[in-house]
Amino acid sequence: MPYPVFKDNREFIKALEANNDLVTIQQEVDWDLEMGAIVRRVCEKKSASPYFKKIKDYPGFEAFGAPLATYKRLAIAMGMKPDASVPEISDEYVKRTTGEPIKSVFVDKRKASCKENIWLGKDADLFKLPGPMVHDGDGGRYLATWHFVVSKDLDTEFVNWGMYRQMVFDEKTMVGPVLPFSDMGKMFYGKYVPKNKPMPFATVIGCDPLAGVAACAPSPIPEDEFTGMLMGAPVELVKCETNDLYVPAHAEIIIEGDVIPDIRIDEAPFGEYTGYRTSPREPRTVYRVNAITFRNNPIVTVSNMGVPTDEGQLLRSFSLGLEMRKLLESQGIPITGVFMWPESTHHLVVVGVRPAYSGIASQIANLVFGSKLSPWFTMVVVVDDDTDIYNKDEVIHALCTKCHPIRGIRKYEQAPGTPLYPFADPEERKWSRGSQVLFDCTFPLDWPKALIPIKVSFKNVYPKEIQEKVQKNWKSYGFKD
Amino acid sequence: MAKKEYDTFVLTELSQVPEDQEMEMIVRDLTPADRRYKYRSFYATAMVSKSESKYPDLLWVRLGRGQLQEKPWSVKILKEVNKFSY
Repeated sequence: MPYPVFKDNREFIKALEANNDLVTIQQEVDWDLEMGAIVRRVCEKKSASPYFKKIKDYPGFEAFGAPLATYKRLAIAMGMKPDASVPEISDEYVKRTTGEPIKSVFVDKRKASCKENIWLGKDADLFKLPGPMVHDGDGGRYLATWHFVVSKDLDTEFVNWGMYRQMVFDEKTMVGPVLPFSDMGKMFYGKYVPKNKPMPFATVIGCDPLAGVAACAPSPIPEDEFTGMLMGAPVELVKCETNDLYVPAHAEIIIEGDVIPDIRIDEAPFGEYTGYRTSPREPRTVYRVNAITFRNNPIVTVSNMGVPTDEGQLLRSFSLGLEMRKLLESQGIPITGVFMWPESTHHLVVVGVRPAYSGIASQIANLVFGSKLSPWFTMVVVVDDDTDIYNKDEVIHALCTKCHPIRGIRKYEQAPGTPLYPFADPEERKWSRGSQVLFDCTFPLDWPKALIPIKVSFKNVYPKEIQEKVQKNWKSYGFKD
Repeated sequence: MAKKEYDTFVLTELSQVPEDQEMEMIVRDLTPADRRYKYRSFYATAMVSKSESKYPDLLWVRLGRGQLQEKPWSVKILKEVNKFSY
């Protein structure tokens, strides 16, 4: 690998252990709530990833929780220093994913560890896998919480890897939401369903960490090639047993089957990316299973969506923000950066800009809200280049002091949304109707210079030589920090 | 023999669930013989009662967002219904 990254989930687990970011749990843990509760607490305390060696009722299976719920783990997954800063990780991500996509290579099934065990027909029984009951009150056991679903367009060669949650319904059936504006939603509901054709799928559980990052990323580049860009080398794929899809050869578990066009069954509730159970139990997309293949002693990956921070929030915030950065830079907007805090559950995007002309904040909001990713953003905060977009204190200060409570706020109504917004009323949720807002935290350019308030900060109101003297003598004054 | 236990979800209005008449519903098995099959869902033709003792098995009820109701109902599962042609 040109970058020091990991070809599979197991190498990544070893790297976390080497960086003191893994707790190996040898005592037996119950798949029925106990495992989920541990992962949830890990997310809320930002503890090390739990690696479960013994799962009740499922000898021979293991599980790995909260695989990418911190920036430290993301840095390790990228092959960077564990203490790399968010701007450093962001710049590296943008550098690697700008340029020529790297095509995947196909390997023989004898070289694919995901084929070490193959269950077909009646043997392909979902309850033989340790799908956890993640939260008390969930609609079922969610086998697929940190995974991706492979699907292919009916008329073209377009292949999508996307993270669509899947609840186990019975031995052969999974069910989950597929939003109509998602890539898989457009393919399935736009093409397969009108022709009443089942759509082949493959669910990949326990992939290498960067394939998981790619599956979360809203890039127009095919996700397998995007993974190759992040790795700096082609991804190794192998053909499925029962359909023509290709999956990562070294993933832990592959579930193959068909998405069914003529029936929807009840799914949910489930903890969602916003930190709430918002969407109720209702009829959703159905997956029927034909085959399960897996490595020896397979490791199920478990994400626990809830209040921040889990990997869905962290990675979607990270990659959505950086896709917006690419979009705004491609339009020549003089931005200084884009960042989304994971705690915003990727609803709030902060854009730093050199306010070169009037109306620039509105232009940014129009681009963000006009993009295909629009339903994921409900708030845009535009700050000037004097504000560090990664510093929460500075952004809150700018929001509360530079944004005029009336003129600085612009509302966007009748926008596309999702049924998952906790703030939306039931009718808005039912029809996926959204609302969005811009907070313009830049001072108007037409104000006379003499009337612009001066920010009173250490770096702004003292001469350089005084700042240097104070910094140099800081410890000798008696300060310990 | 110990009663079997199932649960089901009712979106919002518990009062709208018809009692003592055959209806189709989705239930989850909470007490399977093989514990690996706990929470297996299936469509069933069944009769329910808000009385805990009327029918042979217990039926726990949750609202649409997972809120468990304090007292169980009872249920008689008449048959499992297969919905899948694939």
